[in-house]
Amino acid sequence: MNTEQLISIREFCVYHQVESAFIEALEHNGLIETMIIEQRVYIHPGQLVRLEKLVRLHQDLAIHPDDMDVVTGLLERIEDLQQQIVRLQNRLSFYEPM
Amino acid sequence: MEFVDYYTVLGVPKTASDEDIKKAYRKLARKLHPDLNPNDAEAQKKFQQLNEANEVLSDPEKRKKYDQYGKDWAYADQYEQAKQQRQQQARQHAGTGGEYDFSDGFGGADFSDFLSSMFGQEGGRTRTGGRPAKFRGSDYQAELHLSLRDAYTTHKQTLTLDGQQIGITIKAGVENGQKIKLAGYGGPGVNGGPKGDLYITILVADDDRYKRKGHDVYVEEEIDLYTAVLGGEKVIETLNGKVKIPVAAGTQNGGKSRLKGKGFPVYNQEGAFGDLYVQWQVKIPTDLTDEQKELFRKLANR
Repeated sequence: MNTEQLISIREFCVYHQVESAFIEALEHNGLIETMIIEQRVYIHPGQLVRLEKLVRLHQDLAIHPDDMDVVTGLLERIEDLQQQIVRLQNRLSFYEPM
Repeated sequence: MEFVDYYTVLGVPKTASDEDIKKAYRKLARKLHPDLNPNDAEAQKKFQQLNEANEVLSDPEKRKKYDQYGKDWAYADQYEQAKQQRQQQARQHAGTGGEYDFSDGFGGADFSDFLSSMFGQEGGRTRTGGRPAKFRGSDYQAELHLSLRDAYTTHKQTLTLDGQQIGITIKAGVENGQKIKLAGYGGPGVNGGPKGDLYITILVADDDRYKRKGHDVYVEEEIDLYTAVLGGEKVIETLNGKVKIPVAAGTQNGGKSRLKGKGFPVYNQEGAFGDLYVQWQVKIPTDLTDEQKELFRKLANR
């Protein structure tokens, strides 16, 4: 893949003021995937949404990278449940118009 | 515009120390942070207020000004002036197409009226105090309100975002609450970061006549007693025109007829449709003439 489309982790860390060890810990916990091209570490832009959310959770709420998988797991469940609620509401509105 | 009591927002007394304010902020931020409250506009609004409160009360100079200004609130003329200015800016900024409402994930694109009127538009949205800075641009959220009949056909909608017209195609069969993502139509990125995305939540209003249940559609139709008893035909209105359907002899009140393929289109499946169910409401005749009553009596006694 063309590295121009990839985000350099070094630049990302400088911009967000996070240590590269933080990114390594996230990768170690299976939360993101990085790639190494010519000894430089990159991330695919498609993963930026998730990574930046993890950075905010870490910086704003002091959540440790090792605990991040618990938080993101619960958040994914919340979003799944929210979608399920919408589907059920649509179904319910057939019987009880809102 | 109402006075916003930042002490109440943070839940601390006016005498609170810097440390108390810091603690209160941290505690509430952990509860209201937008990343922990997906799709919760109320939490996002509260988080924005919380950030404003923290920004002002954790800065000694701003806190002093706020305490002073707050006391004379009722006489603050600058307020209205600032409000008018802001509204003008907001109008230029928004330019949305009627039925769309926009926001980003962190409680609106601008400073609140209250804060900007007190400290000016440049009032100091800082990295730590406000919306977090991003490499990738913000995602925008929008709502699009459709009628059930709009959702029945594939059609185009135009929305205006920051002066730019965006044409989108809404495919037939879209569901209430469904989200459509327009990649790259969110806020600009920083330092070469990619643009955010625009998420449009489709809200489909209920229809008086047609009730949707998944891909199937239900309608109620009246028939007279004689057609119900003897059978016949009835012309009914469907979502794509009128059809004449047979009514079986002996149709019960509340009985259903199914019209295959006359229901709602299936999203993303060209040519696939659900079914239409016609629920019959048998009208019992009232105000009978003596002759009619006699005929019914004869029938009843046979």
